[in-house]
Amino acid sequence: MADRQLTTLCDQLKSPTLPYDQASTLLSKAKLLLLQSNALTPSPASPPSLLPLARELLELGALHSIRARNAPAFIRYVDQLEPFYSLPPGHPAAVSGAAVAERNKITGLYLLLLLSQSRYSEFHSELESLATREGGGSAVDVEGDRYLGYPIRLERWLMEGSYDRVWKAMKKGEVPCEEYGVFSEILTTQIRSEIASSSERAYPSLPLSSTKSLLFLDSEGAVVEFAQQRGWAVRDGQIFFPAAGTEAGEEPEKDVSQVAIENVLGYARQLETIV
Amino acid sequence: MPGKTPDKEPVENGGYRGGKDIEMKEKDEQEQAASLKHKGKKAAKDGEDEMTVVVPPSKKQSSVPPPNDADGDVAMDDLDKADDGEVKVDPVVQAINDIKSNFALLERAVALFDARFTLRALRSISSIRKRLTPDIIAQVISETYPPTSGAHFAKSLLSAIGKENVPLGRQPGPEMEIDSEPKASAKNGPKKENNKEVIAEIDIFLAILVQVYLFDSKAYQLGAEFSQSLCDRIHSLNRRTLDSLSAKVYFYYSLFFEQLSPLPPSSQSPIVSIRPTLLAALRTAVLRRDIDTQASVIVILLRNYLQTSHISQADLLVSHTQFPENAANNQVARFLYYLGRIRAIQLRYTEAHEHLTAATRKAPSSACALGFAQTATKLLLVVELLMGDIPDRATFRQPTMEQALHPYFLLVQAVRVGNLDSFETIIAEHADVFRRDGTYSLILRLRQNVIKTGIRMMSLSYSRISLRDICIRLHLGSEESAEYIVAKAIRDGVIEASLDRERGFMKSKEVGDVYATREPGEAFHERIRACLSLHDESVKAMRFPMNQHRLELKNAQEAREREREMAKEIQDGDLDEDDLGGEFEGM
Repeated sequence: MADRQLTTLCDQLKSPTLPYDQASTLLSKAKLLLLQSNALTPSPASPPSLLPLARELLELGALHSIRARNAPAFIRYVDQLEPFYSLPPGHPAAVSGAAVAERNKITGLYLLLLLSQSRYSEFHSELESLATREGGGSAVDVEGDRYLGYPIRLERWLMEGSYDRVWKAMKKGEVPCEEYGVFSEILTTQIRSEIASSSERAYPSLPLSSTKSLLFLDSEGAVVEFAQQRGWAVRDGQIFFPAAGTEAGEEPEKDVSQVAIENVLGYARQLETIV
Repeated sequence: MPGKTPDKEPVENGGYRGGKDIEMKEKDEQEQAASLKHKGKKAAKDGEDEMTVVVPPSKKQSSVPPPNDADGDVAMDDLDKADDGEVKVDPVVQAINDIKSNFALLERAVALFDARFTLRALRSISSIRKRLTPDIIAQVISETYPPTSGAHFAKSLLSAIGKENVPLGRQPGPEMEIDSEPKASAKNGPKKENNKEVIAEIDIFLAILVQVYLFDSKAYQLGAEFSQSLCDRIHSLNRRTLDSLSAKVYFYYSLFFEQLSPLPPSSQSPIVSIRPTLLAALRTAVLRRDIDTQASVIVILLRNYLQTSHISQADLLVSHTQFPENAANNQVARFLYYLGRIRAIQLRYTEAHEHLTAATRKAPSSACALGFAQTATKLLLVVELLMGDIPDRATFRQPTMEQALHPYFLLVQAVRVGNLDSFETIIAEHADVFRRDGTYSLILRLRQNVIKTGIRMMSLSYSRISLRDICIRLHLGSEESAEYIVAKAIRDGVIEASLDRERGFMKSKEVGDVYATREPGEAFHERIRACLSLHDESVKAMRFPMNQHRLELKNAQEAREREREMAKEIQDGDLDEDDLGGEFEGM
């Protein structure tokens, strides 16, 4: 009974065009059913036949919430999926075959989410645990995977500063699936501000025209707007960056003597206790 | 990925991981055992051990059939038999007496409430370890336990070593030499009269010996089961004098489970199942202020989490517990290593560097704990590289480290020169080594550092260089990439330079004098602080005998009394004769 209801719910949810509010009502109904039949989290008491279905439903929920750009909901689904993914290989509901790709997709999205929120330490912790995860018996080739390799490559490029590659990876239909595209927007703003802050330090001035391509903006008007946002001066088709360096340089200069005095006083106190 | 195991022992070092930890303890012994009474015996045994190779297996082959097939044991027995012919000391009796001498220590520890005696007993385990056979253990057990009290526990010990049929409270006899009997029973007799109840410390000590034996004979499954029931028992006991012993029990407990298949990196490993027990033990230890168990269980748990790559759990554990300040040095070293590892994964390199430096410094310097030193040094090197520092060349020259660190040496070279190509080839070539050391994913992050160093080198050597050249030199994908990368490097303060977009070159700024900056001052301050804290720590580490100050007070009192007496005497009679008389004359 619950079985059949869940299957129909699952079929309904499979359509990606379903509006989020409809999907979420369906999902909460499904979750209630799962809870009643004791299959929301895998436990010895839960009926093994329902578990793969439960996993699928949760995965669908995660995808729906990503499409609706609902990050907290997505993270909740990922947390709920975690016990399913860590089931031992012999378990009837263990991830295998086609489900591996689905799982990697969710994990990849999660990694991307962490990346877009600049939570690098969690990103790397997650990455570390991926290496030991089992995918149908053997360890997954993490970097070679279509879904998992993508966020990993992005992270590496972001770290070394090859922003053009990040840009390209996000643009030219290189995104492994449409859900990944959701993050492109967030990441674009992120790299744009990164580039802007490095440009401030690196260039004395920039011509408007080349700034456009530098910042991946569409028009010079957008450049001017962006420049105003960041407080850059635009004169004669050139952008001049405010000399941020001098003020920042002044502050620690004063500290030096103060720090030295504090240190020496500290030594004196220590020596007193020793002698 | 096997490389995930946090401190897998390098092959060069030989032996399993467990050996390393134990050997860290052994080192302790050697350092501190100078004053101990078993030291002489131990040294002698060590000497014999070396000789083992030359002594041919000759006479008395029949005396004790070595049930343990480890070479060490066989050789030891042979040697002891040879020895036996000359000195008339039976190795079995010797071993039994060694074990029993520890009972006295344990009893004193309980009587005087001084944990040092317990530690002393624990330290002797490694010297006894090589000679353990089921027969020896069985004999000790049967001689220690009277058939009435504690029989249940003794039985469980005996069944763990497959000697269920040995009767308690009697000399087992048959396979033992006759001349051992009077000695043993002489020692045994009074003991039985003195205390009818065998103290729990001796129970646990014997249990640890059984654990050690089972571990050495690779009976992991049996050992795991035995340890499980032992842990339950320990949990029910609440004796402060038991603390360091139970810490040891938990150590072996987790070691057994690590050896059970599926092996740790897999998330299905049995070590996951012991977490509740360990956490319960930790909670109890904290409530009882049991520092030894607390420290060692925290370390075991961290290791447990890291082996299955549960970094966030490990991090949570660290943030929710407080590592006891005055824990044993070895535990502190291990804790710092694991902490450094967690921080390195979380990209908190400065903290990681701090912890790992402390860990390598606290690591015992003797050859026994080489595995730990090597593993910690490897991780430290990678973290240093990630921080953009180039490790000291001298690190690689140490004879004990040279071979193990060779792949890392090549890596450092590549990073130092900023050569992306050779960097990639080294990673590909030594991927297995890096994976085994659990540094692989960290090393992959080094790519950006290689690029940065490359840019820095270029900025130092050229006052002006085109982006195209940078791109070619560093094998970057495109000129645009090069531009972004250089811009980022400038922002991150890696180089002092500016970019010219129209003409496409990088112009380096004049390099300032380092001595004009605050850097030397900071380095100096760092060192002074290290010295001062070293001083503080050594003051804190000083140990004073317990009632010494009273003795001094008494001495002072006596001195004062003597003075008073002298003053009295002077006043009373003798004053006219010399001093005062002289003075008077002078006047």
